[in-house]
Parts: sequence; structure tokens; C-alpha cells
Amino acid sequence: MAHRWGMVVDLDRCTGCEACVTACHAENNIPTVGAAEAARGRAMHWIRVERYWEGEFPEARLTFRPVLCQQCDNAPCEAVCPTYASHQTDEGLNAQVYNRCIGTRYCANACMYNVRFFNFFHPQWEKPLQLQLNPDVSLREAGVMEKCTFCVQRIKAAKSEARAEERELVDGALQPACAQACPAGALVFGDLNDPESRVARLSESPRGSKLLEEYGAEPKITYLQRQGWHEPDAQ
Amino acid sequence: MDRRRFLKVTAITGTSAALASCGHPENQIIRFVPEEELTPGIAVWKPSVCPLCSAGCGVIARVMDGDAEVFRNGQPGVTRMGLARKLEGDPAHAVSQGRLCARGQAALQVTYHPDRITTPLRRTGERGNGAFQEVSWDEALGELVSRIDELVGKGQASAIAFLGRPRRGQRQALVGEFLRALGAPAPVSFALFDDGVARHANELSFGRYQLPTLDLARTRYLINFGADFLGTWNSPVAQGVAYGRMRQGQPGVRAKFVQVEPRVSQTGASADEWVVVRPGTEGVVALGLAHVIMREGLRPATAAGRAGTLVDGWAGGLPQFTPQEVERRAGVTAERLERLAKEFVTYGPSLAVIGGAALAHANGVVQALAVNALNALVGSVDAPGGISFMPTEAPPARPARSLRDLVSASPQLLLVDEANPVFATPSAARVGEALRNIPFIASFGSFIDDTSVLADLILPDHSFLESWTESSPESGAMEAVSMTAPPAMRPLYATRAMPDVLLEVSRRLSRPLDPPLPWQTFEEVLQAPPAAAPAAPARAASASPVTWADAQFDGDAATYPFHLLPYASQALHDGSLAHLPWLQELPDPMTTAMWCSWVEINAHTARQLGIALGDMVEVSSAHGSVRAPAVISPGIGPEAVAMPVGQGHETFTRYASGRGANPIRVLAPVEEPATGTLAWSATRVRLARVGGPDGSLVLFAGATRERPDHHGRG
Repeated sequence: MAHRWGMVVDLDRCTGCEACVTACHAENNIPTVGAAEAARGRAMHWIRVERYWEGEFPEARLTFRPVLCQQCDNAPCEAVCPTYASHQTDEGLNAQVYNRCIGTRYCANACMYNVRFFNFFHPQWEKPLQLQLNPDVSLREAGVMEKCTFCVQRIKAAKSEARAEERELVDGALQPACAQACPAGALVFGDLNDPESRVARLSESPRGSKLLEEYGAEPKITYLQRQGWHEPDAQ
Repeated sequence: MDRRRFLKVTAITGTSAALASCGHPENQIIRFVPEEELTPGIAVWKPSVCPLCSAGCGVIARVMDGDAEVFRNGQPGVTRMGLARKLEGDPAHAVSQGRLCARGQAALQVTYHPDRITTPLRRTGERGNGAFQEVSWDEALGELVSRIDELVGKGQASAIAFLGRPRRGQRQALVGEFLRALGAPAPVSFALFDDGVARHANELSFGRYQLPTLDLARTRYLINFGADFLGTWNSPVAQGVAYGRMRQGQPGVRAKFVQVEPRVSQTGASADEWVVVRPGTEGVVALGLAHVIMREGLRPATAAGRAGTLVDGWAGGLPQFTPQEVERRAGVTAERLERLAKEFVTYGPSLAVIGGAALAHANGVVQALAVNALNALVGSVDAPGGISFMPTEAPPARPARSLRDLVSASPQLLLVDEANPVFATPSAARVGEALRNIPFIASFGSFIDDTSVLADLILPDHSFLESWTESSPESGAMEAVSMTAPPAMRPLYATRAMPDVLLEVSRRLSRPLDPPLPWQTFEEVLQAPPAAAPAAPARAASASPVTWADAQFDGDAATYPFHLLPYASQALHDGSLAHLPWLQELPDPMTTAMWCSWVEINAHTARQLGIALGDMVEVSSAHGSVRAPAVISPGIGPEAVAMPVGQGHETFTRYASGRGANPIRVLAPVEEPATGTLAWSATRVRLARVGGPDGSLVLFAGATRERPDHHGRG
């Protein structure tokens, strides 16, 4: 059976440390745009940590929520793309074919998760910062939309390695950069079609919900609710 | 001549000849024989140690081949070589456990930074104006050696000083050996957030001059007094891993986490309960909890052992710390204190932690002693779910000298290794002025920063990926951790490892060291390290009880109505990482701000002063003022304002120079008396709106669209 890649984000573990954000930049050759362009809303973060304040001082509470492409089954970004640059792979990824993209930005407008980023310029790495680039990930040019790929380069590498060694993929051994870096283990990636995988089991948690699921996009990322403390029965 | 050398020589001469007519010597192509263990396109993983904080996380670097512009044999060119492309936590390392924080991920950019110093430099203009010229290593070493010779010849070796960041391991040991053989005083370590107060208190309470390892995974009730243990304090990756287990590691079991602090930090945001206290009264709350526990007979006073006897009034049940008294002093209601005390002792294993701003007061030591005694009272020292002290071959040494000692001794020659006291000390301490008066300064830094810009000579070190690295952390794991790793890649430039430079200097001195240092290279030091200095004897067990002292604040409350709470930036830490573009563009987790400084202000205060989001405000102490845009926050009380530390460098590469504001500069130079560390939470300020938004507040625009109300805690 084909793989169906998904993720669980445990909000009870997430500490907002943003290790995932830098890890993603490093893995996926995401350019930094500088203060002036960042002020115009052009900073690119395929994964970000949203924070929600509730209440007022001194009862204020803050919850962090890492948000990345939700890899929807019924993705609104795909239906609007005139060139099929944005499309669903047979492993359930919302892929973006950079060579097909003509920069209409319809997909970014259609995505309610705001996880697609447009290259307003040719990306630049001031020499010799280009030496940090990951040779496995192509660079995107001006006029092209880009987004989280679930580190598809890692998926491909793991699959070909497994094929060469004539074995199945091992659950947990293949991780996108964000999940690999996460100290608290808040991000769990894996194959939703494998009922024994950690991600498949955690997706069934009663704490689970999908982001904006009432819009029917059928995301493949499940958020596990942050918990409160309940006084245990005294010993 | 072997085959490799033959190829190298022919390659260099051949291509030089071919390109000589191009007229661009910098475009000369030098083709070295490729590194043999590298297959084009195939990654190999090499171990190293993240150098960016003292946690000592083991990392692995993904090395692949690529073309790099390098310096070889004094000339620039291009070579194909193994290049580190990505850092991950080392799964085999007991501290990092395969994980890595945002700062560690960005450590890669230290090596490839466009403003890295590539060759030795000599100052040409006025001291501090940043004009340098390139010189050869021979010339640079000759100059340093002659300066040292001159002082040694005049019998003034004691006027040679060394200033570095706190490091542990053989690199530091070699520096000590070098200075001792020279007859110079011991090296001085300086870092803004150096935890000297916590170590000092732990030595008093437990006989260990060391930061604790927190067994969060097995804790069931955690009270944290201001320590940013999920962000920047102690061993954040190891603590993050343990925190994940504390939350969801065991089905059906979930610890309670109470955060006691005046401003909710990134760590505090994950707490189940936030207890707002007045700055400097965290210890009052700890002693109030102990009072209730002893009064209720839940634990006897004697259970705390020595840690208890160190607190004045402990044996009598701390009669002066009744809940009513705690309410009056700290602002925590008596009822709440009673409840927390009973929960803390009932739902163990319990753990109390103190750090960060709570210890950055003149009364920091007694605050820490209070929390130590509370831990001892509930039996959480060296117990599952509590604190423990990692066994180490060489525990951290109590510093023999402080920055203040160094400055007041008026040295004639200063060697600086990465420390940046000009940035990280208050203006009123006049450290920069004192350094300017030192006749000769040599820096081993890789970047021109606020301190190394004063240097007469810069002898650039390799980056950590190009060096032998060591990890001998003091905390973060239950067992002793020690690791040494060879360079992960060849040096890009004409840099040299600082330990090798010291050894070279020692060989060139006109009066040889007696006895000479027995090593030729740092690699030899690692193979046959110097005998560890005898550990300082533990403090006498009969240390007398310490009486509670209230925190003192600089500036009177009428003129300066707000406490200024500086805090370590999640991205830029103490400012030493402000040069890395990945970290500059990392949205702050609490505010989403990037590339800037800001002032966090309570909503009520902001309304009263007519301040809106992004308005420029001026924060003034009795010692100076800084300006930054305002961020209105529900996470801070009306009596305080908070600013992240990290920006406000006068000079620190193209990414950080002149960006934002540095709150440390306006602090009062108040020290914790026992350790001499800066009490950076002890300054009061006033606040004024000075203008509308100037555009410097950069917030990350990304947010989920539609119905933001939907996304709160469910």
C-alpha cells in the first residue's frame, strides 16, 4: 500500500522554542530576506510558532501552536492552480512543482493556513553563506511559490536506501528536519497508512483535532490539545 | 615528492599560469586533491560540539563536498572540499540526545559568515574605529611575542591578562598552563548570564559548585522560580527532552508546573499556573512554602539538613515567613501560598528550580539558598524527579579572578577570546573605557565586535567545525559526559586554532618557558592533558546561616516607577549570536518580532501613558536611556517593563551593527556581593513615549486566517 505521510503536533509538549523553525531554514534552503523586506511581510517560514494569548494580566495564558502546511487531502491550494504546480502526490503530499509555477499566487490566497510563501526576489546568500545550502533541495527563483514539503528529499532518500537494502521503511527513522530537531518531541511524523506507526496511533488520540477542520480541507496534521492539571487522588 | 604533492604543485602552477592574464588573482583556481573519504554527492556525518552556550551539546555535521573559496598558503583560490551543510543533535550524546535548539541549528552560519575574519589583522587607525590591515601570521605572531617578551623582560609578566568566555575542558586548561608558565595571573571568564550565583549557592547548600541536572521526566510537581529552562538557561535541549516526557511521557500521569516570575517568559508560557511576584521576592515565596510545610508538620525542619541550617530561622520553622507576611512582601495571596505548599508536598516527586532574573539581584545568593532548602525539605535532592549533580572529572572551578579584578589591575597586555564585555556590561561600569587604556590588546575572535574592535592585533581562531572540540558539560545528564571530536572540515581561511597559537607563542619567546609546555599542538594536549587543577576545597560544612535580605533596587520608586527586566533573547541569547541571519530572522516566540529590539509593557500602563503597539518609547534609568518600539503584553505586570538582550551592538557584522537597543548599557552597576556578578534585574527605570512607530518593529505577518478565536487553548 502507498504511504500516506502525516504528522501529529502535541501542543502539550510544544515549548515554543522554535528549534523547528531554524532547522527548516537550514534543511530547505529558505532564504532570509532582511529587516526591510520582513517588515513588508515577506519573511519566509515554512513552519512558524503561532502564539495565542488568553485573558488579561495576571491571569494571562499563552499557548504555542506550530503551524506548517497541513498537507490537506482536499487542498484548496490545488484546485485553484491553473498550471497544476500545486498538486497532490500519490503519497498524499501537497507538492509544489517550481518549474510549473507561474506565480499567480492563487494558492496562497486560497490557503487559510497561510503557509505558502512567494519569492518576490531571486534568493541571495551573501558569500560564502551559499556553502550552507543543502545540495538535495533545489533553490526557488523569483516569481515562484514555495511551501513545506514534509522534507520530501528525506522521504525520497529513505525510500531509496530501504529499497537498496531490500527492507521496509522503519517508523520513526525517517523524520523531517523540524521533527528531528524538536527537543520536546512535540512533532511526530510518519505513515498514516501504517496502523502500527506512532503517528497513526497518536492521530486517534481523544485529544486530537484538525486546524479549521470545519472548512473541509481534510488536513493530515492532527493537533493534540494542551492539557490542564487535575488534582490526582491524594495518595 | 609523493604523488599528491606533485599533483598539488602542478595544479597550482598550471592554473595560475592559465589565469594570470585574467587580472583577477582572487579568481585563481587552486585545485587540491579532493578529500579521499568523500564521494561526490554522498553525505558523511561527523561529530562535533556546539560552542554557542555552555550546555555542551554533542552535534553531528552533515559533510558533503563542494567548491569553496579558500585561503591556502597565503593566497586565495577555489578548492573542492568537504563542507558542513547541516547540524543535528548527536543521538549518541547524553545531553543533546539527537535534538538541537534553534541556536545550535544556526551555529552552521558561524563558519560561513560573510564577515568572518579570514587572516590576521593589525589595527591601522584610531583604536575602536574599525580600520585594520591584513598581516601575515609570521608578522602577527612576531608582534605578539615581542610584546610579551618586553613585559616578561621587565619583570611585568603579571601585567598580562586573558579574558575569555566560560569554557570547560582542555582548551581552558591549556590557557591556564600557558599563563602560569609565563608568570601571568589566571584567566578571567566573562559572560552576562554566567550563573555564578547559582553555583555559589549550590556549593554552600550541597558542596557542589555546579549547576544542577533536572530530572523533569520523573517530576510530578515543578515550581520554577524564573529559570528559563526551556529557552536559554542551563542545558535547554536536555531539559526540553525531559519536559516532553514530563508532559506526555507516561499515560495518565501529568505533572503540574507552576511558574513564579514577574513577567511570563517563554518557559513560563508552558506552565499550568503563573504566580506573579514582585521582582526579587521569589525567595520569600520559597521560604513561605517551607514555612507552611513545616507548620503543618508535613516535613520536619531537619529533613532539609545542611541546606536548611544555612537559612536563618529555619530550625524554628521560619516564623517570619507566614503566608500573610509573604502576601505583603511578594504579592502572592496567603491562600494561594497555602494551597501551593500542600500540593507541592503531596503530589511528589517535587522539584523547585531557580535561575535567571530571580538570581540577578544583590540578594541572589539568599534567594537560591531558600530554593535549595525547599528542595532538601521535600527530599528532592539526588532523588528521582528532583535535582542532582552530574559526576564530572573536573567540576567547574570557582573563578580565581573576575572581570572587575582584571580591570582594576590595569594590565599592560590583554588577550581576548570571544568575550564581549564592552557590550555586556553597563555603561556606568566603564569597562570599555578601562579596556581602551590597556596599551596592547590581542583578540582571537572570528568577528569584529564591540570588544575586539579595540584590539591592536587580531589572530583569528578557526570556527568550531574546523577545530578540535570538547564537551564536558556540568549538567544535563545523569551520568558523566565527556567527548572530544576532531575537526569536521578543513579550515576555509588563514585562521589558526587559538590553543596552537598559544603553543607557538610559547616556543617563540626569547626567554623560553621553564619548564617548557610539553605539547607541540592542541591535539597533543588532548592526548596527554595537563593534570587537573586540584579542586578547590568545598566550603566548610559549618557555614553560618544566612539571613534573608530584601532585594535592593537602583533608582527611587518615585522617579523611576518601573522595574526593568532584561531577559535572554530566545534567538540571540546574550547578544553573542546577533550576527547570525537565521537567528535575526527567527520570530520571537512571545511577540513574533524579528531583526529588532522592543519594550514589553503592560496594557494598563500603556493606556495610561498613551503608548500603542510600535510607538517609540524611551526607557531611562539613573545611568542612561535606550529607545525601542513598544509591544503591549498581557504577560507583564504594571510595575515592570521588559526588554530582550541581544541587539544594540555598536559593531558586530553587517547583520547586527547598529540594530536595536541594548538594555544592559543602562543598568546600574550593582553586583551580587559574594560572586561579583552583575545584578541585572536590580535597576528601576521610567518610561516615556517619544514618538510614533519608526518602522523598526518587525513582526512576522504569518498567521492562520479566519476566526483567530478558534485557535485558543481548547
